[in-house]
Amino acid sequence: MTTLGQTLASLVGRPGRTLLTALGTALGIATIVALLAVVGGVRHSAGNLVNLGPSELGLFQADAADPTTSILSTNLIAKLEHTPGIASASPLILLIGDLPKAPGSIVFGAPPGDFLTGGLVFSSGRAYTSGEEIVLGDTLARELHAAPGQTLTLAHRHLRVVGIYHNGIGYQDAGACLPLATAQAISGRQGEATSIVVRLAAATRPAAARHAIAKDFPGLTVISDADQATRAGVSGQLISQFGLVIVVLALVIGGIGVANTMLMAVIERRSEFALLSAVGFSGPQIAGRVLVESILTTIIGAAIGLLLGVIGAQLLVDALGAKSFVAPQVTAWDLGRGLLVGVLLGVLGGLYPAWRAAHVSPARVLAQQ
Amino acid sequence: MPGAAVTVTHASRAYGETVVLDDVSFTVAPGEMVALTGPSGSGKTTLLQLIGSLDRPSTGRIVVDDVSVGELSHPAEFRRATVGFVFQLHYLLASLSAQDNVELPLVAAHVPRRERAARALHLLEGVGLAGRARARPSELSGGERQRVAIARALAGNPRLILADEPTGSLDSAASQKVWELLSDVSTIAGATVIVASHDLTLAEHAGRALHLLDGRLVAPPEREPHPSEGLA
Repeated sequence: MTTLGQTLASLVGRPGRTLLTALGTALGIATIVALLAVVGGVRHSAGNLVNLGPSELGLFQADAADPTTSILSTNLIAKLEHTPGIASASPLILLIGDLPKAPGSIVFGAPPGDFLTGGLVFSSGRAYTSGEEIVLGDTLARELHAAPGQTLTLAHRHLRVVGIYHNGIGYQDAGACLPLATAQAISGRQGEATSIVVRLAAATRPAAARHAIAKDFPGLTVISDADQATRAGVSGQLISQFGLVIVVLALVIGGIGVANTMLMAVIERRSEFALLSAVGFSGPQIAGRVLVESILTTIIGAAIGLLLGVIGAQLLVDALGAKSFVAPQVTAWDLGRGLLVGVLLGVLGGLYPAWRAAHVSPARVLAQQ
Repeated sequence: MPGAAVTVTHASRAYGETVVLDDVSFTVAPGEMVALTGPSGSGKTTLLQLIGSLDRPSTGRIVVDDVSVGELSHPAEFRRATVGFVFQLHYLLASLSAQDNVELPLVAAHVPRRERAARALHLLEGVGLAGRARARPSELSGGERQRVAIARALAGNPRLILADEPTGSLDSAASQKVWELLSDVSTIAGATVIVASHDLTLAEHAGRALHLLDGRLVAPPEREPHPSEGLA
């Protein structure tokens, strides 16, 4: 039997302890993977709050807690449209929680017929033209059993559904669009917008335009793609940092748990390590066996944890009531990080027990027996 | 490979105020089999541990061949190369088979897997357990476990075997078999064998007996004849 085989036999020989240690690790890893997946989903969703094309930029209030809490004056529109390289600018308002039957849905307010809503593809009905009309994403329409011609109540206003659209972006298809003026009236933010989306003139490089806007309008945050979305809000950055803190906490708590279990195992098996020392195993050799055992246990735990994490991410989003606009994103890198954390837990948790095992006094232990 | 010469010179071992071994001196010739007798607590186990480099003497010197074992910086290497231990409790690892237990000293010595397996099977055959190589310790009798422990002690071709009450938990038939095996190790393999036992009658299997009492070497007590010895 190989040395690894002997280590495995030792783990299999104590199934209860192995399983409990692995399970402790699995829960830690599952938490990490689930949080990373949800954080990834939130970042992605935030990035798509404003569905930017390749020649479009999204402008938000600098230092807003969240992109949805950004407040910009619509007076900026005219100034922006006079900025070199900008072809047009359009205000956008986001309303969240105003649909009583679908509180997680986002309602977008944009001027009728502008480039933001002009790209919507309608599966039935048409785009809105007047203040008392609304168009629904097909997911929301299914959820509400709504169809063109029906009336929808939004923040105590009765709006007529005139169209159903589909554009393939989950939270947009689970949301609705209505005229900017109506959205401003509902939110009590006349003359204001959440964001301003600018379309660049032909041959204008986005980076140059961003630089120019940032220089001329220092109170704005400019994003050009989804990956930069978290820059638009402190919350996004906080979510990312929160994820990192949770990973570190899980590592520390999991490491202590593994160390405690492995230490108990070492104390319980002192005669075994004394015997190994007596037959010629050196301290590092004994420590190595304990460390390998610890790492193998946590890798088993990590494998279970990765599976639980993927399932847990969806459950977490469901529990938070955010499934309509946050889709957990589990990437290979997230899984790799989970596995890496498992190995790290095994190393960190196994170091002290390994040291203890290597320093078991064979004379004392064997004499006590 | 010839057995190891053991020279113990004024060796003492104390734990705090308690003196366990007090100024002990003797020599054992290469290939000799010596019984170390004495009642429980007389210091037999401590003396074997000092000779086997599991512990260091408080004062005095113990030399195995040319090695002063109390001054070793890497005693595990010395044990791996020179010493084979047999304990009263066999100390077989429960999760491993008999063969894997025998292979342990060879794993420590980084012997290749196939060579380890061949050597372990050969040794198990030598102690009469050829058909029990895959058995776990829990599936073996007390005598069989001790024979596996002897095979393990021999795995690294040691020049010195230290056996501490190897028959202490065995019945008379199993004890007889163990003593025969240890005698063979000395006479056939040429290894030096030191066996600690509180049973004076068993010491007769050895060529020479050293008697310990309260940590000091003393003359062996007169042995009372066994009732069976008077019968014609």
